[in-house]
Amino acid sequence: MEMLGLYPVWFEPTLGSGWIIGIIATIHVLFSHTSVGAALVFSYLAVVAYRKNRPELLDYIRRYGLFLLVFSYVLGSITGPGIWFSTTVGSPRGISALIHSFVWKWATEWVFFVIEVIGVYMIVYLVNKVDQKTHLRISIIFGLASYTTMLIIIGILSFMLMPGNENWYTEGGYLNGFYGSNTFAQLAMRTAFMFTMTAVVGGIVASSIKDVAFRKEMVRRLAILGLVATAAGLGLFQWYLTTIPATAELVMENRLPEYFTPALISVMGGIMAYFAATLAAPKLLKPAIAGVMTVVILVFGLWPEEVARESIRKPYVAGGYVYSNQVIGRDVPGLGIHSEIPTIEEHGFTNTLIFLPEELRTVTDSNKEAVGQALALNTCSNCHSLTDTGIRPLANYFGEDSSESDIAAYLRAALSSGTTLYMPQIPLQQDEATALASFVRQLKDQSIAVAADQDNPITVSQSH
Amino acid sequence: MNVDSLYALRDVAGVPSHPILFLVLGVVTFALHMFAVHVMLGGAALTIRGALSQDTYWRQLANAMLSTAKIAVSVAVVIGVAPLLFVQVIYDPFWYTSNVLSAWWVIGFIIILSAAYLLIYVFYYKNEDLTKSKTKCPGSMILSLALFIVVGLIMHTLTNQMLSPDQWMEWYAPQGQIDASGTQLHSINWARFIFMIALAAPVTGAWLYGYRHYISVRHGSDSGYLEFVHNLARKLLARGSLVSLVIGAVWMVTLPENQTEFLTNPMLYITAVALIVLAMVPTLFGNKINNGYTAYWLVAVAFVVIALVAIDREIIRWFALVVESGYNPMDYPINMDWYSTILFFVTFAVVGGMACTYLITVAWQAGQTEGTYTPSVAISRLGNWTIYIILIWIVHYFAVGFWVWAQ
Repeated sequence: MEMLGLYPVWFEPTLGSGWIIGIIATIHVLFSHTSVGAALVFSYLAVVAYRKNRPELLDYIRRYGLFLLVFSYVLGSITGPGIWFSTTVGSPRGISALIHSFVWKWATEWVFFVIEVIGVYMIVYLVNKVDQKTHLRISIIFGLASYTTMLIIIGILSFMLMPGNENWYTEGGYLNGFYGSNTFAQLAMRTAFMFTMTAVVGGIVASSIKDVAFRKEMVRRLAILGLVATAAGLGLFQWYLTTIPATAELVMENRLPEYFTPALISVMGGIMAYFAATLAAPKLLKPAIAGVMTVVILVFGLWPEEVARESIRKPYVAGGYVYSNQVIGRDVPGLGIHSEIPTIEEHGFTNTLIFLPEELRTVTDSNKEAVGQALALNTCSNCHSLTDTGIRPLANYFGEDSSESDIAAYLRAALSSGTTLYMPQIPLQQDEATALASFVRQLKDQSIAVAADQDNPITVSQSH
Repeated sequence: MNVDSLYALRDVAGVPSHPILFLVLGVVTFALHMFAVHVMLGGAALTIRGALSQDTYWRQLANAMLSTAKIAVSVAVVIGVAPLLFVQVIYDPFWYTSNVLSAWWVIGFIIILSAAYLLIYVFYYKNEDLTKSKTKCPGSMILSLALFIVVGLIMHTLTNQMLSPDQWMEWYAPQGQIDASGTQLHSINWARFIFMIALAAPVTGAWLYGYRHYISVRHGSDSGYLEFVHNLARKLLARGSLVSLVIGAVWMVTLPENQTEFLTNPMLYITAVALIVLAMVPTLFGNKINNGYTAYWLVAVAFVVIALVAIDREIIRWFALVVESGYNPMDYPINMDWYSTILFFVTFAVVGGMACTYLITVAWQAGQTEGTYTPSVAISRLGNWTIYIILIWIVHYFAVGFWVWAQ
């Protein structure tokens, strides 16, 4: 019998593996976007410094570069592979799908990454140790190499949502998967927002410049950069929205929280106001304020954006063919990939999962909750926490009065047929649905009991 | 774990080139990564030793080794991305399973590595010049080194767990109870791990020979300091090689059953001889080692030893996975993609080659120059061409992209 290529499952009960991946990815986006934007800004400043003979600009590059060495090249260079590591344990087949289609593209990015890292050390440590023209050359190489890393990763990020070209499904080919309207829209949008981040983080360094006139100039330069970049980013975001598939639009309309759009507008408005204020009164900017603003962007700008990006991919995690629960959900004849749904429909999960104890392959009265738990781990836990905390707790999706048979009936109907928006098709056999329903009911009972305890806390006198 | 299950775990998309390319690149880049790791570990250890000493030469060396360690970490992390990429391509069933089984440690790897890396910078900012002031906060550097060894242990364990597919189910569901917590490190081969760490001593010894020669050509270099470095390098190289050899022998006699076939492989003995040769170089060459480029060649020889160990590691993996478990990465289905394959090799050779040659040449010569360094016309021309070639790459990216988009 054909087995499903599903890996063991990692279940993290407090946050959920999805949020851990999200946290690492969000932090990495801040570090990496800031560094790419800064690299291009450094190239520009080095040109100005060279043409107008302004060595203080090189000193700013050196100081900002030194800051970036820790901020972006220590933490950024670790959280980059960190995304691989976290997705490896949280969504192994999702990352595997990307790796196996784009390994050479990632390897190519690695070449530019090596150049970038050598470059950042050199522009920091060779200021005044090499002639200015040589420093300019190094700055330009550094800036270009850095931006090239973004060019490459964007195509892979777009593929996560959907292949660039629908032909990829029938013909395969890296080019069909990599390039599409979403690739370019996302590249343009991220390019703009990376300058926003560069301007905010650059403020931490610029506001600590001792020379008052130079500090004022740099803070204003960054404010203008930030205003233009943020305004452009907002416009390009509208373009980006026109390039996402209809299913993603539907998910955005139905699944994102109501506060998402107003919150996004508020954050962007706040960022614009911040830049306008620092442009009007540069002396008000202090390193701590710029630091707080960096955290604001991370928490209120990047985190919701990354969560939204993850949400609109549902029910898939990669290429529109790997379901979020790791099952291959559609055929990709171009690569000889077959959907695993027919196999599951025919044999069920319990007969085809590799990492399932033998005693759980047959559902009995005595083991049905254990089988249900194993099924929940494999089919639900990527997106739904099996506890009260973390990402979308599973128990919250069922009513207090739902009986085991009600739950089983839902599982066998909408879920098994794949007609629930946002959810993968999960074709459970009758005994599997019963087992999973039994486990869900148990979760629900535990959740109700915990809530009751919280409503009626046990006091010291009661406990006695 | 039967072989059909291992094959079922394989990615359904196949690979975009022949698997041998990924295997070779994985070994080569792992060797480069490990070499940087060894320099980093040795540099960090010497920094601590020097920072805790009152001796002027030790403190001077600590200064230099702190910079070395700081940059070596960056290099190790950057280069380490490549073998991490390639192992996922052809050994995906093993790598992913091993990682999931110790998931919290995988996440811990990121956090601990970040902490270790930051602690180097904490020590650096507290002690910008150890020759001029007392050592502050040495604990940060000691803790940093300890954490680097912990991340090494995590990575070793993940690699080691790959080699035991027969035990995966027992680790995942002991007594039939699924444990999806990922909190355990299931399989540590201490002799193998300590051997990999011990190699830092001879590698650092060779590195010190190179360092000594590099600074010796500077104007007014201190002959006493050069002699001090020479003696230290000799001891580290000779004793470190022999200690590594002994630990390596312990590893070999304690090899798990599914890897013992490696004992009959000639590569094992070639590596042992190479380590012995490395240990004997100081005795064979004496002071001649400081003539011409000999010291730099010694660094290259140390790299060759590490490359041999990387090959050994791959052969052991082959025995465990191919011979014993029946899984052959070379029969991975290929969905050949010529464009991305050629693009990588051209980028690697042309863009990477030109840029790295230019940047390293400038850094190298600037480090040996008193005052401001101005490169020759030929080197500057190489710099200009590096810029042009990256620009051409970017233009090609958009040209191809727009063409595909327009189809």
